[in-house]
Amino acid sequence: MSQTYLPARSSSAFIPRSRALVWLNLALTFIVGAIGFGLGFWQGISAQQVILYTVVLVAILFGLLNYIAVIFEGRLDATATPEATNETAEGPRSLWANNRIVIVVMVTMLIVYLLITATVPTFRTLGNLIAFLLLEAILVFAFKVSNRFSHGRSAFIGLIVLLALIVISSFTISGFLSAANIRAILLFAAFLGIACIGQTLVALLGGLDLSIPFVIGASNIGLLFLVSLGVPPWLAFCFVLIIGGGIGFLNGVLSYRLQGQALILTLGMGFAVAGLVQILTSIGSSFSGNVFAPVPKWLQNLAAMNGKTFGLSVPPTIILWIVLAIIVIVGLRYTAYGRHIYALGGNRRSAKLIGISEFKYWTLAYTISGISAALTGSLLLGWSGGGFIGVGDQYLFTTLAAVVIGGTSLMGGLGGYGYTVIGVLVLQVLSSFLIGIGLKYEWQQFIFGLLILPMVALYGRAPHIRAQV
Amino acid sequence: MSQSRGSQNTYLLVPILLIALLLGTAVIRGPNLVSMAGFGSAIIVAAPLIFATFSLMSLAVAGRGTVDLAVGPLLAFINVSLVRLNGLEVVTGPFGVFFVAIGIGVLYQLLFALIIIFVRVQPIIVALSGFLALTGINLVILPRPGGSAPEWMLSWGVGTTIFSPVLLLLLLAIGGWLLFTVTSFYSNLRLMGYDERAAYTSGVRINLVRVGAHIIAGIFVGLGAICYTALIASGDPTQGTTMTLTAVTALVLGGVSLSGGRGGVTGALLGAVNLFLIGYVLATFNFGATQAFVTQLFYGLILVLSLLLTLLVPVIGRYLYFISPFAAFIVLGAIVVGIMLQVSTYDAYVLADAAAGAAKPAATGAAGYFLLPIADGGVLGFVDLSPIQRMAMIGVAALAVLVFTARMIVAEAAAVRFGAFMYVFIGGLILLLFFVVGEQTHADSVSPPQQSSGVSP
Repeated sequence: MSQTYLPARSSSAFIPRSRALVWLNLALTFIVGAIGFGLGFWQGISAQQVILYTVVLVAILFGLLNYIAVIFEGRLDATATPEATNETAEGPRSLWANNRIVIVVMVTMLIVYLLITATVPTFRTLGNLIAFLLLEAILVFAFKVSNRFSHGRSAFIGLIVLLALIVISSFTISGFLSAANIRAILLFAAFLGIACIGQTLVALLGGLDLSIPFVIGASNIGLLFLVSLGVPPWLAFCFVLIIGGGIGFLNGVLSYRLQGQALILTLGMGFAVAGLVQILTSIGSSFSGNVFAPVPKWLQNLAAMNGKTFGLSVPPTIILWIVLAIIVIVGLRYTAYGRHIYALGGNRRSAKLIGISEFKYWTLAYTISGISAALTGSLLLGWSGGGFIGVGDQYLFTTLAAVVIGGTSLMGGLGGYGYTVIGVLVLQVLSSFLIGIGLKYEWQQFIFGLLILPMVALYGRAPHIRAQV
Repeated sequence: MSQSRGSQNTYLLVPILLIALLLGTAVIRGPNLVSMAGFGSAIIVAAPLIFATFSLMSLAVAGRGTVDLAVGPLLAFINVSLVRLNGLEVVTGPFGVFFVAIGIGVLYQLLFALIIIFVRVQPIIVALSGFLALTGINLVILPRPGGSAPEWMLSWGVGTTIFSPVLLLLLLAIGGWLLFTVTSFYSNLRLMGYDERAAYTSGVRINLVRVGAHIIAGIFVGLGAICYTALIASGDPTQGTTMTLTAVTALVLGGVSLSGGRGGVTGALLGAVNLFLIGYVLATFNFGATQAFVTQLFYGLILVLSLLLTLLVPVIGRYLYFISPFAAFIVLGAIVVGIMLQVSTYDAYVLADAAAGAAKPAATGAAGYFLLPIADGGVLGFVDLSPIQRMAMIGVAALAVLVFTARMIVAEAAAVRFGAFMYVFIGGLILLLFFVVGEQTHADSVSPPQQSSGVSP
């Protein structure tokens, strides 16, 4: 039996072999489509829009379900034989032994839910019930179903969490699915996502880049400073990108021999860069560290909330992010460069033996990281309209968090930018949800912190030391 | 390698050299450091950083690339909790405060260790998670800097004398770690940090060892938080990130390997003191509005440079294995103490001969032997010799000192620990320093101080 671990390459990429599965997917899609259709009319949106959205939804959902089904099938074939031999001991005892953790966690959640419902009257709403059921479903999915996927478990878990978050938020927060809010979420996701490009590549090689927030802040004030000096804005923009790339290159070269300590080294570089740029910009200026100058119009349009792309009322940054994401995903998957990065991240020694230059790819990844950070900083200038060194501070750990939640291993070799996109979206939707229910920034941070651990624990566990000896 | 026994600490040579340079510069740039108040406040300001670095060191030795990024927020968490509990008048007494501070630190680190052991997630992710969660919760507990420390703690942070409770805490912590290094638990810890698989296969109970390392780290964080609370006498939820970054820098600067197995209290202490001195030296220069940025730039550059220097550690170990880091520390320390004496007594000699008269024979008698190359001009006073005789005497004495120190350095290189002579020598030096500093403070109070070249810390 041929194992289809890369089903997207085969000709029947999106059609499962089993007929029953296709029909099941079709039925599911139509049910969801019908619900959406009904809800759309119930909300009083114009008929054309409802039809358009329904068609788009049905098409995407059907494609996605089939895609999942294909991967599911491939894994099922591979695991069919061992499972058949294992399931000799039937009965409730083996059921308990196999599903201990899930059952315990689910029962605990049920008890907690019932307790809260019994004691707090305001908690008894439909939204909370749905939220609870969704959480239980996520648990079952995460523990049982996702094991059967051949690859990308984390991506599926991330997608389900994302879906659940969207459903819960749209029930609890009025105006969550409004165009303005979605645009805002996507815009912030775009900033974070562009900053994460470099972090993902570096993480794939097994490194970390903590200079990103400092490069963002430095390019933010550096660009405005150059513009205020009278340099043509486009030239200044290119110059900032090149400088960012240069910093990244330096990071790569310096950390090449110190790969275990890349984290600390890039942090030091970030400190130095931020300090240097602030010194340069504050010489002969009375505002220490901050730069005040008008931001060019096209840059504002590029990143502001009300920006327009060829007449469409979508900020160009979002489009830019989508384009970059496609380039990076396709590049990682199908070009020699991308495959070599995976090879190096997976096993340095064997990659070297087949003639892949480690130095080249290491510095390349860091250079791209520098460029993407500088790009984010420049775009953030258009969004905020004023230079500020601290603009990148929150990206110090959110870039890492997005990469980790998406499922890219920090040890290298596993993951990809597509996963990071999911991680970025989860973070932004969650953040929007938390703002929506009235939580302050510090609580958000607290919840982010607590969220990372279980997400990673679901798929990023190391084998026991016994298994490593 | 037969000579490798003595060279296992050669990584300390870099921080030792750096500390000598920095301390010399610091004393010359800001002579205020050499006084009771100067040393006292320096110890109190540096103590939280030192403890945070100790905590990081204990985890770094345990291996798996454990860099607890959450150390700063954890310190701030304990700080704001103490202030909050004090405000609510729940915990005010010394015993309660120590119990709460160390308890929180140990509990957090225990949780950290259990997650690493049983969930088997990379430590860096746990640290990241803890960083975000604690930074958030700190702001919830105390939205902005404020509150007040317990009453009895207020006298700790004044820093007019060297012998403050903070120094006692530091000495206790250092002594405790040094005692800990004698145990077999410590060798197990180092073995585990260096090669976890080897430790496991040779029967070390690695889970227990890891938990132990984390508990020690928790104690250090708790002590650091107490010192921090005493220093600022209030609560501050915002300084966690800065503290993490500086502590990690100090850790690297002290030559502790982030990949595990190598490190100790000496390196961490040297690193933290180095970092404090860098800040002190930079503060004596006046960069105007860009002061903060210059400091940031230098922190970053020094971090990068010291990391690059760790690449040279094997080279140093190969070619300089005959130099004992501790002996080098003694010699460089003697030179720096000479500079201190010179700087601190200079004004007293010029301005108030009568007041300095008491300090003069002491400095001549004891320091004259070892501090000749530096302190000859101001201190030596053989009146009844001709200049040529004096030159010859000085030359011979200097030669003898050189030969003696060189012999001592090489001899000590093979030893893992100090000889008894070294302890006596160090003790004598420290006593001499305190004596002279005390005299100098006395002289200052007699004649108004004329030191205008330095900037107060």
